[in-house]
Parts: sequence; structure tokens; C-alpha cells
Amino acid sequence: MRELKGLALALSGVAVITAFIGLVRPWLDVPSLAVSYVLLVLWVGSASGRLRAILVALVAFLTYEFFFVPPYGTLLISAPKDVLNLLVLLAAAVLGGTLAAWLREARMTAQKAALTAETLYAVAVSALKAPLVSESLDAVVAAAARISGIESMTLLDERGEETLAGPELPARERERARWAVREGQPLGIRLRDGQVDFFRTAGAESEHSFLPLGAGVIAVHLSSQPISPADSRLLAALLALGALLLDRRKSELESDRMRELEASDRLKAAVLSSISHELKSPLASLRAGLSTLALSAAGLKEDERAIVEGLDRQTDRLNRLVGDLLTMSRLESGLPLEKQSVSVAELVGSALRELQPTLAPFKVVVDVADDLPPIEADESQMHLVIGNLLANAAEWTQPGGQIEVGAAFRQGIVSVWVQNQGEHIRPVDLDRVFDKFWSRRERGSGLGLAISKRVLDAHGGTIRAENRRAGPRFTFTLPATQILTTT
Amino acid sequence: MSGRVLIVDDEQEIRRALKTGLGYQGFEVRAVATGEEALAEVGAWHPDVVLLDLGLPGLDGFEVLRRMPGKNRVAVMVVSVMPGEKDKVRALDLGADDYLVKPFGIQELSARIRAVLRRQAAVGDGRPVIRARDLEVDLEHRRVSVGGRTLHLTPTEYEVLRQLAIHAGKPVTHTMLLREVWGEYAIGDRYNTRYVITQLRKKLGDDPARPRYISTEPGVGYRLEAD
Repeated sequence: MRELKGLALALSGVAVITAFIGLVRPWLDVPSLAVSYVLLVLWVGSASGRLRAILVALVAFLTYEFFFVPPYGTLLISAPKDVLNLLVLLAAAVLGGTLAAWLREARMTAQKAALTAETLYAVAVSALKAPLVSESLDAVVAAAARISGIESMTLLDERGEETLAGPELPARERERARWAVREGQPLGIRLRDGQVDFFRTAGAESEHSFLPLGAGVIAVHLSSQPISPADSRLLAALLALGALLLDRRKSELESDRMRELEASDRLKAAVLSSISHELKSPLASLRAGLSTLALSAAGLKEDERAIVEGLDRQTDRLNRLVGDLLTMSRLESGLPLEKQSVSVAELVGSALRELQPTLAPFKVVVDVADDLPPIEADESQMHLVIGNLLANAAEWTQPGGQIEVGAAFRQGIVSVWVQNQGEHIRPVDLDRVFDKFWSRRERGSGLGLAISKRVLDAHGGTIRAENRRAGPRFTFTLPATQILTTT
Repeated sequence: MSGRVLIVDDEQEIRRALKTGLGYQGFEVRAVATGEEALAEVGAWHPDVVLLDLGLPGLDGFEVLRRMPGKNRVAVMVVSVMPGEKDKVRALDLGADDYLVKPFGIQELSARIRAVLRRQAAVGDGRPVIRARDLEVDLEHRRVSVGGRTLHLTPTEYEVLRQLAIHAGKPVTHTMLLREVWGEYAIGDRYNTRYVITQLRKKLGDDPARPRYISTEPGVGYRLEAD
């Protein structure tokens, strides 16, 4: 309707100019008056575009020829001069109209681009300023819904389950969203060189297109109207912004989870240390009292003293069992390791020193290579492992027998072994010795080797038992630290 | 050897047992239950050794250590049911002389107390020459020898050995070494102590896996084995 009205207005303009020329013609030179038509064509071109301008130029040309070029009242031309005049007039009108129309288009494109940039700027600023990423996601969805040709946009989480912004999708569409996530395939919409590319998908008809991203899915609901190229660029930019914001949301969730984990680690550590305190305090009183009564100065009779000494030893055993259980639960609770560069030679040295009373009845042979690089490990836990292996060896070796502890470095791996002269382990049991509560003797807690295995597992190392000619040997390995130091 | 021992522990059973046991072993003993009482007794009774439990209610063991007057004269042996390295290091850095993990037998305790007293007596003498087996550190003449053979140490190596020697028998933490030898700015950089200790061990002919002179306390620091 508006189109027709514009055309009618342009044509009545031609009529008015023709009437005006007819009126002033007796007094003025006619060819220069024809320029008035060109003005009209320029106006039409800038207001309504190139095609309209050319149409009006042709109508004006014919009208002028009909009324003012002799012979009048016909579309014939008698003078050759008039042909040239007319052609110049036509050319000027067409050229001018085209030029004006081109200017109009350029202005409109610039306006659109400015609008796109403005929308994006507003969304980006609000997205960056918003303290909550959910608000930023809402802003993107709202901006997308303002684009003509788009009904709505919905942002879903990385599994396609939870709606993060925009209208809730019907069940069938959510199923398609999950499919897009599972397959990592876009449905109906693609991003290509900063442009949105819509494509038809086989199968069920759907109003939604789905774009799966690393940290979420974007669903776009198209309306029946087409989307202009400028809006398509805006949509592409909004999709990219949405992807960035979904990434931000995901990393925020992850850092929240890390904080929660750290808090739960602190809680676990606190609970364990409290339990350890509660269990060990009574044992401390028992040992202090029993060992005092066992002193000869306490004046007990010989057989009474033997009883008290026995109780003291039992208490000590109970204490070690409780200690092993606590160590095991600390390891099983998955508390983080405190890794640092550790010297294996120093670990062996300190374990031997600590176990001096236990190892006194044996001949201890130390064979630690000089060129050992440091290992990356939790020092106190590795100390525990070497101590456990040495204590185990002492338990199985006859007094006067030999216990060998050694360490070597080969192909980036540091291996440490403890060899005893005890009886061989049955081949079927070589793996089972590392099981929790498995012990070849009733006296052991069955935890020492299991603890050692857990520690090595947590460090990415290995531990194994084997039978050598002299007796069982336990070997653990760990990767050496990359940086070579003189330690 | 006898001496005055002050027991600080909130468990009555422990106080009673240790007081009796250490008494049998020839020590003069008093026992208190809180940090406040401990500080008062230290000021009034002048014990030689304080047996300090870290897990006291109210004023805890660390705070008592910090407020202890005349740290140079009163030896403090810290006891705790928590064998955590961090607590050990913290207590040693606050001036504790030794630590013992609960539970322990009375024999072990009295042996450790005697060692602390011996060390204290030696420091009290201001002995200029410190010996560990055949190692001699002459603090007056800055001379170090093993089996009579003089060693040539760099100034840093000598400083580290001197720190271990004046605390002979007692664990010296990484932090203490770094502070005394390199200065406050170096604290936290354990690579320094590691490197110098390695060099020292080489010159002393000491094997870290079978140390004769300098032993390692895992997660804590180093100790010069005293006679």
C-alpha cells in the first residue's frame, strides 16, 4: 500500500512539473526547464531507491517528449538537436537517480551497523559488569529476542538439561538439545566466519535450532520472518558472546567446587586429628602409668612386674594399630599430598635412625647409589613407607640375620628396595600382601604394606613383592624429578 | 643426673603417672594443668626442663612457648599426640629444644630429658670445641677437623655447621638455618640448605643414607649427632 502511495506521489510530481513547464514555456527557454525533472528523480532515488528513480525518469522523459518536443502531442522527434537534448536529460535523470539511491542504501547500512554495534556494546558491557553470570546470560537472550525473525533464544547447560536463560523448552525440544550435546553436532544452525548459517535438518520438523558449545547449548527459535544480513551478523556476535559467558559460568562453577573441596578437606583433616587425639590420649595415660609401675623403684614383685610390662607392650601394640588405622583413613580420605623435592638417601638415613632399636639385632646393609636424583614426594609419607618396609623386614628376619636396603636410578625411575632373609612368600600371596588387613601373622595389623601401597598409588609409583634367593624383597619405584640438582 | 622437671599437661592421669615415674628416676618434679600455671611456675620455681603438652586448653603450648621467659636457661621438651611435622617445626622455631610424640614409656622420656639436660649443661659451659664422634668444631678458632684432619669449608658451609654444632643433638629446622645463615629474606628457600648440607656431607665424608654426623629429620631439618 505504502509502495503504491509513493509511486502515485512521484507520478503526480511529474504531472505538476509538466504543468509548470507548460505555464512558463512561452517566456523561458524550454531545455533548461527540463532539469526540474532531474531534481524530482534525485528526490525519488534518495527516498525510494534505484528502480523507482529509473521508472520516474522514464515517465518524465516520455511526458516531456510528448508535450514539449516538436511535433507536439506525439512521441516523434523532428529536430536532431532535440534528440541529443532528450538523451542527455534521460541520462542525467537515470544517473542522478541511481546515485541518490546508492547514497540512500549506504546511509541505511551505516545506520544498521551502528545499531548492531550499539546493541552488542550494551549487551557486552552489561554482561561484563554483571556480578552474576546469570544476569549476563539474560541480557544476551533479551538482545537476541529483539532481532526481527527470532522468536526467542534459550541457553542450556553443557548437558542440555538445565535452562540457564530464556524461555523453557518443551520436552521434545530438550531431547533434541541433549542429542546435539551427545553427538557434538549443531542442529539447524552453524557459525561460519562470523556469520550465522541456517540449514535444514532431516527428520522431525522443529522450530528450534541448536548450537552445542563446550560449556552449554544455545537454542534459537526462529519466527516465519527472514533475518536480514545485518541481523544475522548481530546474531552471530550474540552467539559468540553467549558462548563466552557459558564458559565463564562453567569456570565459576568449577572454582566454587574447588573451594568446597578444600573446605571439606579441612573438615576431614580436623575430624581425623580430633579422633586421633581422642584415641591416643588414653593410650598415652596407660603407657605412662604402666611403664612407671614396671620400674623397679615402684616396688612390685617380680611376677607382678612381668604382668605390668606385658600390659605396657600390649598398649604399645594397640597404639601402633590405632596409628596405622588413622594413617589409612587419612590416605583413604584423599587429602592432598604435600609434595616437594626429597632425597631418597636422606629418607633411608632417617628411617634407619628412627628404627635403630628395632634394627639393632640385625646386620643392616645399605646400598644407596650416589647419583640418585631427588624425587617429588610427600616427605613424611615416603618416610612412613621406608619405615614400614624396614619394620616388616625386621619382623621376618631371624636375629643376627641380614637386612638390605638399597636404591638405584635407571631410565628416569628411582627404585628403592628392602630385602630380608625371612621365609619366602607363597607365589599366590605376592599381590595379596598389599591388601588391607591381610597378614601372614596374627600379630601384625595387616596395614603396614597396605598403607605403603596407598602412598605409592597416590604418588603415581609402584610397589611389588618378589622372592629372591635370600628371601622376600619389596621394591617401590617413583619417577625422578626432572630438574637435576646435586642432592 | 638429676634436675627439676615441670610437667604441663591437662590430663590428670598423665600428670600423676609422669610425676611418680620421673620421681622414681631421680628427678625433682612438679606438675601443672594449664599454660598460665606453667608460666608462673617457670618464674617462681626455675625448673631445668619443662615438659610441655601442645594441646592445652586455654593458653596453648605454642603460646606458652612464645611467652616463656629466659628461653636460654629453661629447656623445653614439647610433647603431643599429633606427630605432624608442621607442629614440630613450629615448636622448634619457637625455641623448643626437643619433641616427643605421645604415647611414650617412662624410660624413653627420662632418657630424652637427660639428653636435653646434658646438652644444656654443655651449652652452659660455653664450650669452645664441639665434638661429634671424630668431628671437631672449634668455634673459637673457626677450625673444623675430622679425625684430626683439618677441613677447608666455605664461609657458608662453616656457618651452617656452626649452627648445627651450637645446637648439637637438637634438630635445627630449615627456617632456623636459613634465618641464621642467610637472613630473613631467604626463609622458605630450602634449596639453599639442601645444597650446603650436601656439600658439607661430601667434605665430612658423611653418607646421607648412613649419617655419622649430620642426620636428616624428615620434614623438619637437620641434626648434628652429639656425643
